[in-house]
Amino acid sequence: MGTATIKKELIKILGEKKVLTDDLDLMYYSYDSSFLTRLEPSNPDAVVIPASTEDVQKTVRFAYENNINIIPRGAGTGETGGCIAVNGGIVLDLSAWDEIVEIDAENMQVIVRPGVIHANLNEQLAKFNLFFPPDPGSSKMCTIGGMVANNASGLRAVKYWSTEPYVLGLEVVMPNGDIIITGGMKARTIKNVSGLNLTKLMVGSEGTLGIITQIRLRCFPVPKARGIAMAVFDNLDDAPATVLDVYQNGVLPSGIEILDSSAIKAVNEFKPEINLPEAEAILLFEVDGNPPSVEYEGEIIRNVAVKRARSFEWSTDKKRMAELWEGRSITATAAARVRPDGSRIFAGEDISVPLSKVADTLRAIRNLGEKYGIRVVNYGHIGDGNVHTAPVINPENPDEVEKVLQLVHEIHLLAIEVGGTTTGEHGVGAVRRCYAEAEHGKAVEYMRKIKEACDPKGIMNPGKVF
Amino acid sequence: MKFKDLPPVKEQLMKCVRCGKCRSVCPVFAEIKNETAAPRGHVFIVQALRDGKVAPNDKVWEKLNMCLLCEACSINCPSGIDVHELNAAARSYIYENNPSIGRELIFDVLWTNQFLLKTTARVMWGFQKSGLQALARNLGLTKMLPGDLSQAEKIMSNIPYASARSTLREVNPAKGDKKYTVGYFLGCGTDLFFPNVAKAAVDVLTHNGCEVIIPADTKCCGLPHIANGKMDTARQLAVHNIKIFDSYDLDFIVTDCASCSATLSPKNMEFLLSGLKIEDQAMAFAHKVIDLNKLLVDILNIDLQGEEPARKVKVTYHDPCHLANAQGIKEQPRELLRRVPGVEYIEMRDSNRCCGGSGTYSVTHYGISMKILDKKIDRAMETGAEKIATCCPSCMMQLRYGINRHNWDCQVVHPVELVNQVYKDNIALYTGN
Repeated sequence: MGTATIKKELIKILGEKKVLTDDLDLMYYSYDSSFLTRLEPSNPDAVVIPASTEDVQKTVRFAYENNINIIPRGAGTGETGGCIAVNGGIVLDLSAWDEIVEIDAENMQVIVRPGVIHANLNEQLAKFNLFFPPDPGSSKMCTIGGMVANNASGLRAVKYWSTEPYVLGLEVVMPNGDIIITGGMKARTIKNVSGLNLTKLMVGSEGTLGIITQIRLRCFPVPKARGIAMAVFDNLDDAPATVLDVYQNGVLPSGIEILDSSAIKAVNEFKPEINLPEAEAILLFEVDGNPPSVEYEGEIIRNVAVKRARSFEWSTDKKRMAELWEGRSITATAAARVRPDGSRIFAGEDISVPLSKVADTLRAIRNLGEKYGIRVVNYGHIGDGNVHTAPVINPENPDEVEKVLQLVHEIHLLAIEVGGTTTGEHGVGAVRRCYAEAEHGKAVEYMRKIKEACDPKGIMNPGKVF
Repeated sequence: MKFKDLPPVKEQLMKCVRCGKCRSVCPVFAEIKNETAAPRGHVFIVQALRDGKVAPNDKVWEKLNMCLLCEACSINCPSGIDVHELNAAARSYIYENNPSIGRELIFDVLWTNQFLLKTTARVMWGFQKSGLQALARNLGLTKMLPGDLSQAEKIMSNIPYASARSTLREVNPAKGDKKYTVGYFLGCGTDLFFPNVAKAAVDVLTHNGCEVIIPADTKCCGLPHIANGKMDTARQLAVHNIKIFDSYDLDFIVTDCASCSATLSPKNMEFLLSGLKIEDQAMAFAHKVIDLNKLLVDILNIDLQGEEPARKVKVTYHDPCHLANAQGIKEQPRELLRRVPGVEYIEMRDSNRCCGGSGTYSVTHYGISMKILDKKIDRAMETGAEKIATCCPSCMMQLRYGINRHNWDCQVVHPVELVNQVYKDNIALYTGN
């Protein structure tokens, strides 16, 4: 079916207001936050902005009947090209569908449509003293639908893990237009082992199996207290050793972040007034819970950290906590601004490695940067081995682009080699699918079989994941 | 200078990683809720313009023109991109390639000429006072105006007969010991729509030891021109104004209008005039420009002693984008309000969110502008305020319209009007008048 006909038919089915067909409008859907789409943006044939499950169903049925690709999209904050029509098709922009259907406080859960913004959800849940714990750095703009589709996590994954354990059930429009409810059609339970777990199958499937139109999430009570510790190390290896030691002493902080020397340098160059100590590594611990337990655990972290750290500070004072945390929160920005004639790029940015390999990996990435003559800024969630690397280049210089693509490829290979993965929380999308065989071997075949069973025509977000 | 060589285009375009942070702060995006209103999308389109992937045509103009230029995205951008400057530069590029006679008339002829602008305001005043306005509205004649222009005359309601300039003297001596000689940049909005604000500003300044000079032949600051793609005209206006003020020996150049002070600020002068012969002179001029609240609090540190009235007046404050976002001036207007005896200051939620006025935006984009305004008025009403203070004639007009729209009993004022009232009341107290 030609593009012009697709546009005409969609308008016929859904009405003019829910369909974007103008070429200029479509350009706005040619990118996400990936380096891939900075190099090669690609327009969809049309964009549908659904406001109901029926809208989605109508669109999907039309696409199914006519073999047209369907690409679901949240806020487009992803870093993998996952929501881009790399082979043409209809993009479903679910980000405007932002209704919180029900806060079921007595059952500790909430039901939302996919476009609800993470921060907005927690703002509403706070009224019931509840929260949805995974906390991506993009909390203010990313959607719950996108988080579920990518199984996103964030700073507090150490204690609270990723999105997956919180997803109790989903409404999904399957590629043929069927609507299914996973996790029990009527269930409002927290535990449920009845049947094959289709919920978990859908979480992290990146839009390759169906369109998530409703999400039932488990919520936790909001912790009453919080404390932040900062430990400074002259030796990089002492950082992961300290993290392990903290765990072995029975403390599970909510987050443990690392800045290596590249990040410390970038922060100090960007904001000299923050004046981070020059060091090989800085660790930041966040502990939450009830006030006595937070103080108690803070004390344990202190006793463990001072064995190796050059300096240590602990605070439960709001203002001081914000100051201590500033080094971490500003790292991403610093990476973006550290080179006046350059820009950070999102590529090779999300590897995750075993805790025991973090120090070696950080060193190896710095060496790779030197090898290619590219500045890299490393930071990340050391508590779970998730390393964020920010290469800083001039993206309009073809030489630098070519070199950085090689650098990124080596970073991905490195992750697999040390027993890690190419992506800890951002997803595979279009940019990391080439590593599927290397990471999963024969298991990829079974992924494809599942894909075929759900999506026999292969119209759901093709060119992604595997 | 060529479009692709303009500093923001040359240096900043490549910095956008499309992280989407701008989606979370853009008031227009909050209403439209799809990517075609996202600031990062506009940045993407500006890049496509630079690279010749889209043509500088009306369609692109309309997209970029959806932006209020409120700068919320710019101050929140992790990559430090001045999104509003990129947008303005692109509008100018499109305009050069795609001139429109209507805009030519409004911005080159009418809005560069004090006399013509005043005459237009007079005609509108006569139109309102004669009752013809109601008749025209009833007959639906105003609907025949192009686009949403039929709403324009409602938003600009209550045009005063006499402009500020026609009632104020050029030289206003300081009362008591003179501390500073201050040039007063009288913006078009204050001059034509809020002459009482200008009067209050001059009274308060002279009361506090400032000799206030109001040069006769100043022209518009140029913001409407920048917003409408007339960068060259904006440059000419800037050069004209710089030369006029440079003929006086001034300690400060003050303005009560947030948009004027932002437009005359060093940052914007650099955007407009960098690389030109006049750059140094322009920067020296720009460094003298100061917002009225800032002058009264930070420099003059005015002390307001008056009798505390039995009943306090509840006042809230709306941050004009061009003050809070463009210049980071948030504390001084609030501090000024707190110093006024009898004011009970109440902060509103989202006080720094745009009101949707943005100069001509409320006219050209009436529907979206009203949605943004309604949110603002809701927030203001939550405070139970009797007065909303703000420091920009465009915001004042828009808020006044919103108050009427919601049938709310509330007044819009500039902080300096409340300050001046204290002096007036004190004089009344001492003289028994």
